[in-house]
Amino acid sequence: MHKKMMFSFPDEVLEHVFSFIQSDKDRNSVSMVCKSWYEIERWCRRKVFVGNCYSVSPRMVIRRFPEFRSIELKGKPHFADFNLVPDGWGGYVFPWIAEMAGAFPWLEEIKLKRMVVTDESLELIAKSFKNFKVLVLSSCEGFSTDGLAAIAASCKNLKELDLRDCEVDDLSGHWLSHFPDTVSLVSLNISCLGSDEVSFSALERLVGRCTNLRTLRLNRAVPLDKIANILRRAPHLVEFGTGTYAADLRPDVYSDLAGAFSSCKELKSLSGFWDLVPAYLPAIYPACSKLTSLNLSYATIQSPDLIKLLSQCPNLQRLLVLDYIEDSGLEALASTCKDLQELRVFPSDPFGAEPNVSLTERGLVAVSSGCPKLQSVLYFCRRMSNEALVTIAKNCPNFTRFRLCIIEPRTADYLTLEPLDVGFGAIVQYCKDLQRLSLSGLLTDRVFEYIGTYAKKLEMLSVAFAGDSDLGLHHVLSGCESLRKLEIRDCPFGDKALLANAAKLDTMRSLWMSSCAVSFGACKLLGQKMPRLNVEVIDERGPPDSRPESCPVDKLYIYRTVAGPRFDMPPFVWTMEDDPSLQLS
Amino acid sequence: MELQLGLALPTTPFSPFGYELKQGPFHNNGSCSSSSSSSGGSNKRRGGFDEDTRVVPKTLRLLLWNTNQRNGEDDDPNDLDDHSSSAILKNGGEGLVGWPPVKAWRKKLRRHVHNGRANNNRMAAAAAGNNSCGGRAFSNSTYVKVKMEGNAIARKIDLSVHRSFESLTSTLKRMFDISEEQWRKSFKLAYQDREGDWLLAEDVPWRTFIRSLKCIKLVRS
Repeated sequence: MHKKMMFSFPDEVLEHVFSFIQSDKDRNSVSMVCKSWYEIERWCRRKVFVGNCYSVSPRMVIRRFPEFRSIELKGKPHFADFNLVPDGWGGYVFPWIAEMAGAFPWLEEIKLKRMVVTDESLELIAKSFKNFKVLVLSSCEGFSTDGLAAIAASCKNLKELDLRDCEVDDLSGHWLSHFPDTVSLVSLNISCLGSDEVSFSALERLVGRCTNLRTLRLNRAVPLDKIANILRRAPHLVEFGTGTYAADLRPDVYSDLAGAFSSCKELKSLSGFWDLVPAYLPAIYPACSKLTSLNLSYATIQSPDLIKLLSQCPNLQRLLVLDYIEDSGLEALASTCKDLQELRVFPSDPFGAEPNVSLTERGLVAVSSGCPKLQSVLYFCRRMSNEALVTIAKNCPNFTRFRLCIIEPRTADYLTLEPLDVGFGAIVQYCKDLQRLSLSGLLTDRVFEYIGTYAKKLEMLSVAFAGDSDLGLHHVLSGCESLRKLEIRDCPFGDKALLANAAKLDTMRSLWMSSCAVSFGACKLLGQKMPRLNVEVIDERGPPDSRPESCPVDKLYIYRTVAGPRFDMPPFVWTMEDDPSLQLS
Repeated sequence: MELQLGLALPTTPFSPFGYELKQGPFHNNGSCSSSSSSSGGSNKRRGGFDEDTRVVPKTLRLLLWNTNQRNGEDDDPNDLDDHSSSAILKNGGEGLVGWPPVKAWRKKLRRHVHNGRANNNRMAAAAAGNNSCGGRAFSNSTYVKVKMEGNAIARKIDLSVHRSFESLTSTLKRMFDISEEQWRKSFKLAYQDREGDWLLAEDVPWRTFIRSLKCIKLVRS
């Protein structure tokens, strides 16, 4: 007893110490030290993160953390971004809102990713949380501007409304007028809204009265000649996304625009630029020297104009661009932007059979060589070599994210015609902190052997059209100690590796396998023997038991959960049942 | 054959093929079976995971199967081919679903991008060539939204299974529970095209309809 008093602090002191610990992972660790720390921590956790909305029930979360103010939820698997998850699969946020609305009205922040959000949910949020401040909807769908109007009208303390990459039913541009005069937004992102009319006057008025506005991302419908007025009303903007950046060249519009951009002395991030007309590009030059982030991934400008622009941006840390930049543009980037940390190059013509631009592995090699701080890469191209990948790996041992997409599946090393196993092997060997990796090209089981051996910090792996046998999957599941998310499509991986590594699945967030060779029988077995997993078979061809058990399932989604099987599944999803009598202890 | 499940006894971690990765092609001096047998003296400590649930089963013996026999019971390449080719054909021969992995949101914008460039030849070729849902050459989704006037809930319909107005309207009637009589008397099929204009489907041929439509609405006449 005496010892205990000597070594323990009063709860309030511990709570104060814990308040400095923000990261979710650290909070989880803290809560596992001992029972009293668990108790103290759970009462003072203010931000809850649920990486898979079906891994836990809303009631459980509320019971454990009775005083949180902010919740972040993720719904559908990542491959839903590419239409691999059929409509109606799930990820509904309403049950969460309903539970939280009842339990406590002081919720301030809701951040959702890949979830189905209905107008009803938005209306319930608007009605239930009096101090609601932040709504971030990322890649969500299911709602319309009516729901947004409810949020605008009722959330008097709203600070952030961010709709990124959402699919919104754009019924009317007038929802913006529902914001009361007193609202003071700090961040507004409506870039995903459709091309239906946006009420420009409402937008201008709103921007004018939000004196603390720091982030504004407009949608494509806002024409070029409206930008100057908007910018002048928000001179303290740090992040700005234009609407359509095209118009007939008129000197008065141009000088107006240039003046507006130069009056925004704090701009660090620019985006938008739909339909970009190069003639208007120099209008942003006054802002370029301070830019750290530039998203030109909707801008169809060619390499020479890009090079001119990039030469104005020596402090760039993040660049998103189309492959019109070509190798020459990337070489210029490598020589001017020495602080570059993140590069994403998107394909301008992803479905074309022939390359339409001169963008090859050379561009990425140049950037890897010229930009010592490069950490995160997403690169679409049409050819690659082991030699290039090894060079890149050696140049950039600090990579945390490396996602390469060679557009044609199973493309070999274009120099040697060999698989790209060695190249990716070098990536995982040299980049010891690699957390995320996406593979492409011709790959055998060998690359998975490298990954299992070296990629010890890897948390997320995406695989497509790769491997020869179950061995490949076995290497990954048995070797990658930090693996949390694994998504696989069109690979010859079947039952053996999955069943042999079943226990691994309990340590991961989720596994997605589509168009592979996992049989229905194996899914059933897995479901029976692993009580803490939900094994979902997704098959639009009809019930899997109408086919022989050895038949491979179309899509398989396995995730760990403490909430048991879900009950909101559509007719084409089956959860394999637990069988308590068959479980291993 | 009962397969081992759950926590198999952890074996000593196998040492990797013990050579440095060199630039350029290098010699393949270890097949999986040889590397798995050299299990001693590995310096890859699995520290910190011993007693908790993160022990991963190392069922190395499984590695010895299948290295030479690719045509084992489970791995019939023909089965796989059938399976993957069905994924390609599923989309009306349009191409692989979800590949390349470009977000649907970007694909929609890509359409506009190409309208501005001299790429109409390519679009026409794709439309004529291998897809029945021509206009959606840039999108691998064959689902479109359908709304009924007066009904708040939008549905989605898979266009790739339809080849004519008859088949489409009969599905729509079923979906919205509209009788043949009601349909003839009070409904018309309207659609929004790529330019955002609303048109009546009865005014255009099926091919034009399919290639240019963005979404469908059942309007009351």
